[in-house]
Amino acid sequence: MSDKERIKSLIKEAALYQKQGLFEESKEKYEEILTFIQDHERYSKDKKLIDAVKGKIRIAEDNLDEIDKTTETPALSQEIQDLISRLFSSSKDKDMAAIEGAVALAKFGQYEKALAEFQRLIEEGKMPLVAAKNSLMCHIAISSPDAAIAQFEQWVSWNTFSGPDLKYIRTFLENTLEKQGIKADLPLVDEAPDVEGESEEREVDMIDISSISVELANGPRKGEKIELQVTFQLGNKISTIIPAQQKYLADAFKIGLRLSGMQCFSPLAIFNARGIVSGLKIVTSGPRRGSHALDITIDGV
Amino acid sequence: MAVFNPKDRVIECKIVYYGPGRSGKTTNLEYIFKAGKKYTNSELVSINTKGDRTLFFDFLPLGLGKIRGCDVKVQLYTVPGQAKYNSTRKLVLKNVDGVVFVADSLEIRRKENFLSLKDLQQNLAEKNMNILKIPLVIQYNKRDLGEQGIPIMPIKDMERDLNSKLKAPSFGANALKGKGVGETLKKCLILTLRHLQKELQWSQ
Ligand SMILES: Nc1nc2c(ncn2[C@@H]2O[C@H](COP(=O)(O)OP(=O)(O)OP(=O)(O)O)[C@@H](O)[C@H]2O)c(=O)[nH]1
Ligand SMILES: [Mg+2]
Repeated sequence: MSDKERIKSLIKEAALYQKQGLFEESKEKYEEILTFIQDHERYSKDKKLIDAVKGKIRIAEDNLDEIDKTTETPALSQEIQDLISRLFSSSKDKDMAAIEGAVALAKFGQYEKALAEFQRLIEEGKMPLVAAKNSLMCHIAISSPDAAIAQFEQWVSWNTFSGPDLKYIRTFLENTLEKQGIKADLPLVDEAPDVEGESEEREVDMIDISSISVELANGPRKGEKIELQVTFQLGNKISTIIPAQQKYLADAFKIGLRLSGMQCFSPLAIFNARGIVSGLKIVTSGPRRGSHALDITIDGV
Repeated sequence: MAVFNPKDRVIECKIVYYGPGRSGKTTNLEYIFKAGKKYTNSELVSINTKGDRTLFFDFLPLGLGKIRGCDVKVQLYTVPGQAKYNSTRKLVLKNVDGVVFVADSLEIRRKENFLSLKDLQQNLAEKNMNILKIPLVIQYNKRDLGEQGIPIMPIKDMERDLNSKLKAPSFGANALKGKGVGETLKKCLILTLRHLQKELQWSQ
């Protein structure tokens, strides 16, 4: 094979690997071509050829980078999510199959949908303890242990579970967090929790809000839109956490500040709301120490 | 494990296409979907990432009609071949009844074939399944590339690399053109149904 033929056949090979998505192999082949060219005087001065090959190497590298960077959890349509929960649940028992389906959704990164499903199962009393444990694991996977703790706090104050069940869930959460090296300040659970005084607030029929977006009205970043995760919700009162590193955000809020153009995100819908800052304090203990707890009361949608 | 409903006499089984990244698993299913329209009224579901790489799985349900008095339904899946998606492969492999291993004939992918087969063996073992016992067919794909002057492995070398212990039925293929795709699937179906028949004591 003449040198020219050799280069031609190597280029053909490299181009095929590129076309088949074998970018690593394509890159190596082009590098081999480059070395070959540079080693042969007849071609080593052919700047056009060398640049072309270098260009191909860059394309392969860009493709490799892109593969590394792509997000691994795409938003899937409702239809596909339903298909996943159907295909990956094999239990004959209907409730168990529902749990398996929701677990599969979580494993495929569809945490929001999985959480909604676990929540439904809890509400309908279908294997609520299994659902609760999986729900906490989901919270940890999506955002942070804090979200799981907030969820647990909500269950405690909403009286979602009986005393003994709450105790069981508390132990599970405590152990799970401990495995991650986190010592959490979980609320203590009575065998028969006192729920008086809460009934009124529970009646407020408010959709579950997962995060809000507000425009900063004060401070150095006035006008900037920020998003805050809701860690806890009781009716129309929501709590969010401003991490210690973002203290400048906390400075933009003060108790009594009216928030008019607030956007609320829930697993079901995005809606606009008005509210008022009803609490702002620094967290002095527990895993969120140093952060600010910002409470907002929503008084209009 | 297949679902067998003796009352309705419906049997539903699961075949998974396994193999290294880019070997042509999805292309197999695409061809089956195109050529086998009369066996399905569903769409081929593909959940992909950048550049058509499978991210989660491809899924295609087929209805084969009545076999020995039973309504036979088959679910075909592919796994994502990229090494980093092992947890997804394990998930997709759950309850598998038969496997098609799609090997890449490109010489440059020799090692990847090997690693993927080993990965299959381990993932099956974790589920208490033995690669020597599960219905398995091997496909040597992209045979057409040899004619284009691209270095590919001779079949006998691939047999020695991958199939000397397994002794599974094997086929050369060009999945893009559909060559060998039907034969591979048919063989795997026969092995799987025969296996299930023994296991489920299902017969006329
Ligand atoms: N020439 C040729 N190309 C093929 C053949 N089969 C597949 N290809 C090509 O190989 C590339 C990869 O094919 P896919 O079917 O996406 O491979 P895959 O095994 O599903 O890959 P992953 O999803 O990443 O695991 C594509 O560019 C296909 O067109 C074949 O038989 N001959
Ligand atoms: Mg694929």
